Amino acid sequence: MSYGTRCVLDRVDLDVYRGETLVLLGGSGSGKSTLLKHVLGLAKPGAGSITINGVDITRCSPSELGAVRRRIGVAFQASALFNSLTVEENVALPLRELTRLADSTIKLVVWMKLIAVGLSDAGSLYPPELSGGMRKRAAVARAMALDPEILILDEPSAGLDPIVSAGLDELILFLKRSFGITILVVTHELESAFRIADRVAMLYQGRLIAVDRKEEFVRNAHPRIRQFLDRQPDAMPRVAAEEFIEAYLRGPKDDN
Amino acid sequence: MTLLEQVGQAAIVRVEEAGALTMQAWSVFRKLPLVLPVVGIRRRWRSAVEQMLAIGASALPMTGIMSLCTGFILALQSASELRKFGALEFVIDLVAIGFTRELGPLITALSVSGRSASAISAEIGTMVATEEIDALRVMGLDPVEFTLAPKYLAALVTLPCLTILSTLCGISAGYMFLAFSMDMSARIYFQAVAEAVVLRDVAFMLVKSLVFATIIVHVGCLEGLRVRGGPEAVGHATTAAVVKSTFLVILADLLATAIFYLMGWSSLR
Repeated sequence: MSYGTRCVLDRVDLDVYRGETLVLLGGSGSGKSTLLKHVLGLAKPGAGSITINGVDITRCSPSELGAVRRRIGVAFQASALFNSLTVEENVALPLRELTRLADSTIKLVVWMKLIAVGLSDAGSLYPPELSGGMRKRAAVARAMALDPEILILDEPSAGLDPIVSAGLDELILFLKRSFGITILVVTHELESAFRIADRVAMLYQGRLIAVDRKEEFVRNAHPRIRQFLDRQPDAMPRVAAEEFIEAYLRGPKDDN
Repeated sequence: MTLLEQVGQAAIVRVEEAGALTMQAWSVFRKLPLVLPVVGIRRRWRSAVEQMLAIGASALPMTGIMSLCTGFILALQSASELRKFGALEFVIDLVAIGFTRELGPLITALSVSGRSASAISAEIGTMVATEEIDALRVMGLDPVEFTLAPKYLAALVTLPCLTILSTLCGISAGYMFLAFSMDMSARIYFQAVAEAVVLRDVAFMLVKSLVFATIIVHVGCLEGLRVRGGPEAVGHATTAAVVKSTFLVILADLLATAIFYLMGWSSLR
C-alpha cells in the first residue's frame, strides 16, 4: 500500500500459524507499523487481502470485523491506556463493554489479569502515575482481558531498561506457555526477539525479505539481515576532495 | 501557484471540511439514542453528564458576567442615541429583543466556543496522538459512540440552558442601567420586556443555541480527530478549532437571522 507516491508495503505475503510466536523485525521506515495497522484493520491495503481466523477483514462487514477484533488483544507502543481511568478500570473496560458479566465477576477477572502481569498493587493508580514498565504491563493486562486467541504487541520493549525489558519477555513467555496463544510481536530489540520467538520475519523498505524459524534466520546470508543482526551502521558517505571543492564553488542548489 | 490556484485550493479544502463535518454530524446523531438516559446505555449517559459539567457548569460564571456587561453596554449606548429622538422607552425593547434573538445565543456560543471547542479538540487530539482512539477501535468499540456522542448530547442540553441564562442576565443588566440612570421601577421594566418578547423569539433563540452547539462540538471533534503528529499538531488543532467554530457560529447566525426575517417571523412586514 502507498501513502501518496510513496510505496510503504510492497507485495508482503506473511502467514502466522496458530499457537506460534512470530517476531517481526525491521528498521525504522521498514513498514512494520503500517503492516501492524493493516492487521488490526486500521488501514486498508491497496491490493491483496488480510485473513484472520478465516475471515477476510478487508472485505467483511463491520459486525464480522467486531467479532474478529474481540479475539485479538493489542498492546500499543505507547500503551494507549485511557488516562481518565484507573488501571483497574482500563483492564475492566473490554469486559464491561463486550461481555455481560456481573460487576463482581469483572472485578475478579481484572484482579487475576493484574496478578498475571505483576501489577496487583497498582490497580487504583492512574496511567500518568505509572512507570514506563508498569504502563506496558498494564497494556498487556488490558490486551489479555478477554482471553484473546491472538496477542499483538507493538514494540513492547521500547524505552525500557534491560531489567524491565527482560521481565516483560518472561511475561510473554509465561503467557505463551500457559495459554498457548498466537503472539505477533513487532520489535527491533534483537535480544528480546530471539528469546521469545518461534519464527522471525524481517521487513526492509516495505518488502518481506525473510521468514524463518529463528535458528535458520540467524544463519541467513542476506546482506541487510546480516547488517541488522551484526549491528553494522550504513557506510558514512565519503566525499573526495575534488568533488567537495567543485560542489562548494558551484554554490548551493537553487530550489525552484 | 497563481492567485486563482491558491483561491481554488483553499476553496477545495473548505468544501472538503464542510463535507467531513456533515458526515461526522450524521454519524454522531445516529448514535445519540445510545447516550440518552433510561433508553440508552448507562455508562454513556454518565459520560454525557460529566461532559455537561465540563461544558456547561464551568462556563456559567463567565457567560453570565459577559452577558451582564454586554447588556449594560447595549442599554447605555442605545439610550444615548435614542434620547435624541425622545424614544427612550424603546431601549427596553431593544435590549430585550436584541438579547433574545441575537446576543443571548451569540455570546453564549462565543464563550463556549473559546472554552470547549479548544478543550474538546485538545482532548481528542491527544487521544489520537497516544493511539487511544486506535485502541478503542481495535477493542471493537466505536469512538463515535464512546467519546463523541456524549459530548454532543451534553452540548445540546447545556447550550440552551446557558443561552437562557445569558439572555436573562443581559436583560437584567439593561434594567440595572435604567434603574441607575433614571430610577425606572422593576415592575415597569420587566412588564415592558414581557410585552416585547414573543414566544417566536424565544423559540428562535433556543433553535439557534442548538445549531451553535452542533457547530462547536463537531468542529472541535473533527479538528481533534485529524491530528497527525505530536504536541505541536495538537496545539495547531486547538487553535484551528476555536477559529473555525467561532467563524462558523457567526456565519450560521447570519443565515439563521436572514431566514428569520425572510420568513416574515419578525414584525418587520
